[in-house]
Amino acid sequence: MQLRIPNRLEDVFLALDRAEGTLDRADVDSSCRADVRLVLEELLVNTVRHGYPDGRDGSIEITLRIEADVVHLELRDDAMPFDPLQHEPPDLPGDIARRDIGGLGLHLARSIASDFHYARDAHGNRVVIRFDPSDEPAT
Amino acid sequence: MTLIVRSESPSTDRSTVWLEGRLDAATFAAFDEALHDITPLVDNGGTLVVDLSGLEYISSAGLRSLAQLRKQIHDRDGRTLLLNPQPQVKKVFDIVKAVPVAEVFTNVAELDQYLDHMQRQITAPGS
Repeated sequence: MQLRIPNRLEDVFLALDRAEGTLDRADVDSSCRADVRLVLEELLVNTVRHGYPDGRDGSIEITLRIEADVVHLELRDDAMPFDPLQHEPPDLPGDIARRDIGGLGLHLARSIASDFHYARDAHGNRVVIRFDPSDEPAT
Repeated sequence: MTLIVRSESPSTDRSTVWLEGRLDAATFAAFDEALHDITPLVDNGGTLVVDLSGLEYISSAGLRSLAQLRKQIHDRDGRTLLLNPQPQVKKVFDIVKAVPVAEVFTNVAELDQYLDHMQRQITAPGS
């Protein structure tokens, strides 16, 4: 699946549904499907909300490739430079009701992905993520 | 699928809210709106049970709304207990250590037992 969307929240959610449909048709299991949806939501919502502070129109490209059981996701955008890996993990007090914690979404995205790479080139930000159900940590 | 919120208040000291669907950046605003009707259900010292059996997905936006609900109930001297989180929701709770584990129950019997125990502690202090 390859998809280019404008930097608007409603388009993000249309893209999430498209991605989920693609994974469903490829028989990706429901737990991995939910992981991909969560990482996509956290990263795309973050880009749309914070990536274009000047309010300009932007574009985000989403590529999803499924190989055996492994899902490869690539996101490219023309937002301002942002490396999700450079964000400090939040301090987790064991009860998020006690105070407002920033960076939860990015922390979730990084924790759930098996592999997470960031690069910036002439086109903008590029994030490459791998989801491997066999990497699932024992709980 | 959108988020469906239903609530019921069988007694003054215990109310239940059911969440169904997804609690995410697309639906959290509707949930926050529903909170205005939910929080007054809980009187001082009361318990709000949030039944998560039908909630299939939560993201950080949903976690924030849930935290907000717990905080509002806490501010009314009430208590929020979470019932039966499904695999994706449980996984997200675990990663961000979202709620004290003592406030999450896998079934109603476990939750009733906990509330009975709390009740006994109140009516028979020191025993």
